[in-house]
Amino acid sequence: MRGYLVFLKKELFEYTKTYKLLIMVLVFVIFGITNPLVAKLTPVILKSFMTDGIIITLPEPTAYDAWMQFFKNATQMGIIVMVILFSGVLSSELSKGTLINLLTKGLSRKSVILSKYTCMVLVWTVSIALCFGLTYGYTVYLFPKEDTPNLLFSVSCLWLFGLFLLAVLLFSAALVKSSYGCLFITVIVMAACIIMNIIPSIHRYNPISLATDNMGLLVGSIEASSLYDAILVSSLFSMIFVSLSAMIFQKKQL
Amino acid sequence: MDWSMMKEYLPFLVPLVIAQLALAVTALIHVLRHPHYRFGNKVMWALMVMFIQFVGPILYFTIGRGEE
Amino acid sequence: MGILEIKQLYKCFGHHKVLKGLDMDVPEHSIFGFVGKNGAGKTTTMKIILGLLKADSGSVTVCGEEVRYGETKTNRNIGFLPDVPEFYGYMNPLEYLKLCGEITGLTKSRIKTRSEELLELVGLKDANKKIGGFSRGMKQRLGIAQALLNEPKLLICDEPTSALDPIGRKEILDILLAAKGKTTIVFSTHILSDVERICDRIAVLHDGKLALCGTISENKKRHRHNGFAIEFENEKDALLFENTEELKHPSINLSRDGNAVTVLLTDSNMDGHFILDVLSQMRIVPLRFEVMEPTLESMFMEVVQ
Repeated sequence: MRGYLVFLKKELFEYTKTYKLLIMVLVFVIFGITNPLVAKLTPVILKSFMTDGIIITLPEPTAYDAWMQFFKNATQMGIIVMVILFSGVLSSELSKGTLINLLTKGLSRKSVILSKYTCMVLVWTVSIALCFGLTYGYTVYLFPKEDTPNLLFSVSCLWLFGLFLLAVLLFSAALVKSSYGCLFITVIVMAACIIMNIIPSIHRYNPISLATDNMGLLVGSIEASSLYDAILVSSLFSMIFVSLSAMIFQKKQL
Repeated sequence: MDWSMMKEYLPFLVPLVIAQLALAVTALIHVLRHPHYRFGNKVMWALMVMFIQFVGPILYFTIGRGEE
Repeated sequence: MGILEIKQLYKCFGHHKVLKGLDMDVPEHSIFGFVGKNGAGKTTTMKIILGLLKADSGSVTVCGEEVRYGETKTNRNIGFLPDVPEFYGYMNPLEYLKLCGEITGLTKSRIKTRSEELLELVGLKDANKKIGGFSRGMKQRLGIAQALLNEPKLLICDEPTSALDPIGRKEILDILLAAKGKTTIVFSTHILSDVERICDRIAVLHDGKLALCGTISENKKRHRHNGFAIEFENEKDALLFENTEELKHPSINLSRDGNAVTVLLTDSNMDGHFILDVLSQMRIVPLRFEVMEPTLESMFMEVVQ
């Protein structure tokens, strides 16, 4: 327990000192601000491109457009940046040998895995919360009196998907030596999830549904209850992957 | 865009510009103080992070920067 | 009972057998020089002691407790200095020592006093910059400081001097010597003069086993070659002695340099009396008659051949 807390502190210190925390936060903050702005300005910008002859009727932008931007950016650019930033979570320490020293001081390998996962989850949580808060605030400012149902639930689903993704990332990092290998496995797992999503009966249980069905939840085309199974599966597999990482890492020759 | 419109969007633009600048400046300082890159050179990265808004610094920190 | 005991240790990497039944016993308060050629298995042995590598068979006990692979319980008694120690480049020495201290579970005030003491000892007191900008020698010194932080009963150093220049080497050896009173030190090296300077015990690892083990003086006694250096008054006597019929024997090796003759007896039945007899028969009194002390180098060469 002590090792876990000490190492968690070291991880947080590392993320601040190596600017990783700052990058994550800034990226998500910038997205948070631009999401509603882009939604509001898209028709204005399009209009300025129009010549006199052509008339296209554009629908008034709504809060939904802002949230569409939010989910698009967070699930694409945001998650890609996060996965690349965290891909060296174990490999950077193992290739340089910085971890060996601490392990020989009685730090348990399980603590290393758990605190690394906790730290990644913390950074992801802070980032997505900031992004959500900013988008929410500006959306209310730009599009007052518009109600978006299921919003919090939808974002929580996305957050949980992040947890699942980080568990996969940690598992890949424990499995292979290089950060590229870790990225590769993570991408393969995600691709597999996306491909499996084509089969309707699997969609219900597929963790990736948590990152694809968000707008459907908002506009009401998807029932919240239809995601309960995916939530269960994601939570379960996150735990399994973290435990597996710890087990693999325990037996790894350093 | 006229002035009244600018005024409406000021609450967006100010924090946005600050965040973008913070990102660019952090990246620039890092580029100048850690002259090891996975590829490219100092001048290239300095220009990238300064002039390609948002994408430049992100690229630098995710794939450009070398080991400490 | 020794502070570190290794019994019948076997380890192979693929088809390459590195350790073939290694037995070693390190008594308390000694400086133990662990010598071997490059690739003899010194680092492998150390990693097994630290529980970082899995042995194929055999046992390792540290302070009476058995080492288990993947666990780190026994490591609380050990301080380890890797051959090329690597630290987090974004920390400064004090921050790094604080991290180490917190992991071992020292109290805050203890960490503070120990860190200051140790940084003083290794001469990094005024180095407040980030470790990323440290030279190799500085990293090595910080390595010793972190290894000694929790006052370990056993300090293991993996080739602490091989990557350093002569001044850096001397500094490291002096620091180790200064730490001798408080802890037992095992250090691997292939530089014999380092062993000669600070070790009181030596173990030579060769072909997966210890080829030589014990205190340095004991070993020197045991390996005292039947070698004699004899100096004569003039070259004529020397030539006369060199060409004596009694000494023309395959187990006697003679070499002459001016007035001095070196005699090596490889037959264990012969000793100095034999040569003295020859001399008295020839009625020559030499200027000097000396039994040659074996050097570590000659001992090492002998056992690894």
